[in-house]
Amino acid sequence: MYDAIARNRRKSWLLVALAFLLLFAVAEAFNLYVGGGPAGLLVALAIASAGTVGSYYFSDKLALAITGAREVEHQHAPQLVNVVHEMAIAAGLPMPRVMIVPDPAPNAFATGRDPEHAVIAVTTGLLERLDREELQGVIGHEMSHVLNRDTRVTTLVVAVCGAIVMLCDLFWRFSFFGSRRSRSRDDNSGAAAILLVIGIVTIVLAPLAAALIQAAVSRKREELADSTAVALTRNPAGLRRALEKLMGDQSVVRKTSRATAHLWIESPLDREHGGSWLNRMFDTHPPLTQRINALRTIENAGP
Amino acid sequence: MLLLVVLVVLVVLVLIFIALYNKLVRLRNRVDEAWAQIDVQLRRRYDLIPNLVETVKGYAAHERQTLEAVIAARGAAQSLNAQGASPAAIAQAEGALTNALRGLLAVAEAYPDLKANQNFAQLQEELTTTENKISFARQHYNDTVRQNNTAVETIPTSFVAPIANVTRRDYFELDPTDPSRNPVQVQF
Repeated sequence: MYDAIARNRRKSWLLVALAFLLLFAVAEAFNLYVGGGPAGLLVALAIASAGTVGSYYFSDKLALAITGAREVEHQHAPQLVNVVHEMAIAAGLPMPRVMIVPDPAPNAFATGRDPEHAVIAVTTGLLERLDREELQGVIGHEMSHVLNRDTRVTTLVVAVCGAIVMLCDLFWRFSFFGSRRSRSRDDNSGAAAILLVIGIVTIVLAPLAAALIQAAVSRKREELADSTAVALTRNPAGLRRALEKLMGDQSVVRKTSRATAHLWIESPLDREHGGSWLNRMFDTHPPLTQRINALRTIENAGP
Repeated sequence: MLLLVVLVVLVVLVLIFIALYNKLVRLRNRVDEAWAQIDVQLRRRYDLIPNLVETVKGYAAHERQTLEAVIAARGAAQSLNAQGASPAAIAQAEGALTNALRGLLAVAEAYPDLKANQNFAQLQEELTTTENKISFARQHYNDTVRQNNTAVETIPTSFVAPIANVTRRDYFELDPTDPSRNPVQVQF
């Protein structure tokens, strides 16, 4: 299990590196076609870092505002607050703020830029449907996102991928209205033409690739949080049964969008969409059946 | 030149010593912190028990033996804790208390009225969470003790440990054959 955690961590950092590489490639293509020397790269970096800093500080407030979560204390929801405290102790983290989202669809998410500012939120639907052990599994999963600094990793990827998309947008504007200084410079040698084609292809495909990377990172972090949750609770059955209940439930979280999809323990958007290979590539979460089977494997392997 | 070399070597040695010393002190503080976390939960459990016993008494007064076993185990554990006994000794007394509580909750299963009591349900939730917290805090404490003991016994930190006054620490281990190694399971 600990091997799985290490492997997963490597993979998601690889994906983050890939996203940065893609950003540089786009900036390079931008530079090649529109010109302006290293300006393209600088613009890309500026957008990416502004996005990162912005979401680093405001992502939690934004997510909470979108979902309509409200903070609860021990006297309002003793069991929930107790279970969160248990998981905080198990993870060796400070007690996060606990929130409840008034929504009948069972789901949960964690946010906040670091463990000191962490928030764990669950829907009222989740509290109604899960027993104590199952709730502990779900909270363990959310606490793992806090422990693994997933909010930070995801924020980084979202910002970098956002910068890629913005830069590509910018490119189309420039190429239609801007002066192409590069044309006079390139004396139409074969190599330059090939480079230009590669540049265009990069810019066309980059937003798609960015979306794929973003989804892949999110899926990796979800898998990692599942195995970390087992390490914290030492009880794979709780989370497994909770996910089974979520699978049986067809309701969809009301106040959500693609923008916050990666936050939740289970995809809050459409669930059973054909499950084609292409569709799965854009999902922010691995299929529930796959996650349940992974937990079952740990369960059968014993402690 | 030679003087300079000697001086550099000395400075490096002093810096290494400071680093090792600080590492050991950090480890010791972490063990103390982790122990404090267990202790908070142990005390919380002592506080919950009188209420629990009173509530159960209201419905199952003739389960005298079980109730007295819990009270006795609580008293023993609390007095050991108050004396500042070693974690190993406290762990043993706490293990006995966990067992006594398990017996009491098993008895409670036979009284539907008691189980329906709002106060009892609340106490049961608080007791469950306290048991879980003790068990999770124990894992964390034992991790920090293992790091501390490894540092005290391995070179080069072992040379500095006596100077920094950092020693081996007890694990908080319940008896391995004891079923109370797993937290009390409460069914709802």
